[in-house]
Amino acid sequence: MVDPRARARLASDHAALVGAGVVGALVVFVLVGPLLTRHGPLESDFVRGVSPTGMPVGPSAEFPLGTDRMFRDVLARLACAGRLSLFIAVAATSIATAVGTAVGIVSGWYEGARVRMPWPAILGAAVSIVALALGHPAAGAIALVAAVVAVFGKRFAGPRVDLDAMLMRAVDVMLAFPFILLVMAIGAAIDRTSTGTILVTLGITGWLGIARVLRAKTIQVRSLEYVEASRALGQSTGGVMLNHVLPNIAGPLIVTATVQVAQMIVADSVLSYLGLGISPPTPTWGRMLFEGQDYYITAPWMVAAPAAAILLAVWGFNMLGEGLRDALDPNEA
Amino acid sequence: MPWIPTRHDVRAALGLGIAFATTTGCSERLAAPIPAAHEEADAPRRGGTLRLASLADVRTLDPAGSLDALAAEAIHLIFAGLVDYDGRADVVPDLADHWDVDDEGRTYRFTLRRGVLMHDGQELTAEDVKRSVERSLHPSTPNPNASYFVGISGYDAYAAGKTEHLAGVEIDGPYVVSFHLNGADATFLPLLAMPTLRPTCRNATDRYVDTWLPCGAGPFKLEPAGWQRGTRLRLVRHDRYFRPGLPYLDAVEWTYDMQSLAQRFRFEDGELDMIHDMTQADLTRFLADDRWKPYGAAESDTSIFGESMNTRMPPFDNVDIRRAVAAAINRDHYSVLKAANMTPLSQVIPSAVPGYDPTFEGQRYDYAVALEHMRAAGFAFDPSTGKGGWPRPVEYLLYDQGVVLYTAQILQQELAKIGIRLELKVVSWPAFLAMRTDPNRAGMALGSWSMDYPDPSTFFEPLFGSASLAGESTYSSAFYSNPHLDELLARAHRQNDPALRRRLYREANAIVCADAPWAFTFGYHWFDIRQPYVRGFVAHPVWGRDVSHVWIDRAAPGVQP
Repeated sequence: MVDPRARARLASDHAALVGAGVVGALVVFVLVGPLLTRHGPLESDFVRGVSPTGMPVGPSAEFPLGTDRMFRDVLARLACAGRLSLFIAVAATSIATAVGTAVGIVSGWYEGARVRMPWPAILGAAVSIVALALGHPAAGAIALVAAVVAVFGKRFAGPRVDLDAMLMRAVDVMLAFPFILLVMAIGAAIDRTSTGTILVTLGITGWLGIARVLRAKTIQVRSLEYVEASRALGQSTGGVMLNHVLPNIAGPLIVTATVQVAQMIVADSVLSYLGLGISPPTPTWGRMLFEGQDYYITAPWMVAAPAAAILLAVWGFNMLGEGLRDALDPNEA
Repeated sequence: MPWIPTRHDVRAALGLGIAFATTTGCSERLAAPIPAAHEEADAPRRGGTLRLASLADVRTLDPAGSLDALAAEAIHLIFAGLVDYDGRADVVPDLADHWDVDDEGRTYRFTLRRGVLMHDGQELTAEDVKRSVERSLHPSTPNPNASYFVGISGYDAYAAGKTEHLAGVEIDGPYVVSFHLNGADATFLPLLAMPTLRPTCRNATDRYVDTWLPCGAGPFKLEPAGWQRGTRLRLVRHDRYFRPGLPYLDAVEWTYDMQSLAQRFRFEDGELDMIHDMTQADLTRFLADDRWKPYGAAESDTSIFGESMNTRMPPFDNVDIRRAVAAAINRDHYSVLKAANMTPLSQVIPSAVPGYDPTFEGQRYDYAVALEHMRAAGFAFDPSTGKGGWPRPVEYLLYDQGVVLYTAQILQQELAKIGIRLELKVVSWPAFLAMRTDPNRAGMALGSWSMDYPDPSTFFEPLFGSASLAGESTYSSAFYSNPHLDELLARAHRQNDPALRRRLYREANAIVCADAPWAFTFGYHWFDIRQPYVRGFVAHPVWGRDVSHVWIDRAAPGVQP
């Protein structure tokens, strides 16, 4: 249940409502945009899409946003790219949020405590991930089963460690690792940059901030009386985390995730602009921006359309996120 | 993670965007050309510095280690050769006063001009020629062109380190040097006019050293500390150049690694005198501007581009599929991408190379024929239903740079219409070079080749001759082999009769076009724009941006012509 006071605060926040409107409009555009034109996003029109001087044609009834340097319909490409960008942003945010939430809660919960780690299970899980990534599903499955057995067998637990410190140092290391370099390394390792690659890359680099925020919130929540009471009544650690901690940190989680979508849109655009994104001819806003930059004087629509799309999308999600923060967590505002 | 704007940042960005849109707008006009001091070009005058720029950088200025066209632009100004190319790409004497051919085309005897002074003040002698040739072809020299000179007698033993000297190069007097060949070779003179074997000063010694500062007998010499690698190069006039009165310029200056947009801005501001690395958008603006039209010059088509098909890998081991590809490509769709630089190409030889025959039809676009070839190959495709064609995606290898990224997407569209679905594999340039030479890697790859010297053999032999497949590194990304073609190419290589030679290459051209290891797509040339005060510039068919006869006629600031 959402607090009625939060709902009221959100309803009275005009900036947030505008943000929500922009996001909604964007979603509608990417869904119905391709229906507004009869040109496909990948089809060059060498007859009507080319001006007499050999340049792309400007906005017209035939091409509402003009054509690009390969004489393709900018409107169709913008909408198609928008679908992809939004999908990547939302999916990568989901991955990042899931990982960040798990790490944040566990880290915050065990802050100041030493925990006995199931090292064999962790090793098995790591081997499983590597094997699956390298295309050895059988070996991956065996390693995964071994990891599960190790967890439930509880026989292979190692010495106690400071789990919180370990996780946060891992976050520090990953934050220090250059983002672009990581993307290039992953792209080189798997030989082809695809939607999946971008998703995984953004997902595994996007959870760090979320983990930090949720760890701090968890540390606050774990000492609340009803959490203590729940533990005293014998509820398992996992149960307490799921039933009491998670609902109480949902506000900041929603806010962070909403802003994260905007971050992901920018990150996806940056990668595409730098040529590290999804390979052509699949349209992306960043790639469209790159392809249009040389034409910013002669065919400004080529730059203006993707730039406006990125700007509006980021702006909309940021405004919505800020409005949600004001509504759900007024003390932080 | 990248920076994320806050609400205030977004407002600021919106403001900036509006300001940008209003200040630039769609109507921004190119700056006016900077007028020459005199309306009509009268006699050339000496003095001034010509300022050029380039997107790329030169790795070396040593003629023995040079491969790229950008370096050759400076190297041919620093180093004069025994022979050179004239304005029609014909070989003419340069340091040589004349030459004689004996022994049925197997001996070339060059008599040097007397009194030619190198940049170090020493007189050029036959000894310098022999030493420079041996230095260039020595096995320790990283000479990418050495194999071109395999026809010189004794080359194999010398290249293998078995002999101290190259037996095929003999000094017949202080000013006479002879080259003995294993057999008649029509490519020898065009090859000799390349920078590779041009005489160097004595301080170059007889062994290649990367730190040696270039010194030759050309019209310009390197200014002390005038080469900052990766940044700039400045050449100054060689006052004792053997051609009286030349060069006219005091200096030529290149700034390297300068982006296209920066070049255009600096050119408009009068800080560069000529540019040719323009974006399509900028070039279109110059060409559409009546004020600039008289100051543009197209260089020659000396590069060819095509779609290289791996003849050892399905589906392109089937000649009908290759012919279908060649017939499915509308070359006009490619060239419209950069009309001022690209010319539709349907054969091996580009228009600027001797042997080009404009009446030769070669490959041509015919969609119905393309579908027919697909049917003949057993992979009929029905355009109305989209069914049929080659059942699996085909990987197409290319690099992420320049116009080829767009031509690849056009190819993808064209081949989809005959049922071949391409997956673009975009890699870096070094990765591309490494991967395309692997016969098991890609079914299809971008093919491109630039003329090394103005002769058809520079295209046929490395790209389609079986001999080029030997060894670990090959330029032949199609892995094509045809004994009959090999025999024709060998005969043409030896043939000194121009008419007979042309006929042989026409036959070779027909074989390659019919077998279609490549679908030829376009020839490429640079387009130069210069300020009106840059006089005497004529695009050279081999050297492109040749400024050896250029002079500057610029009015002093504030002075109207």
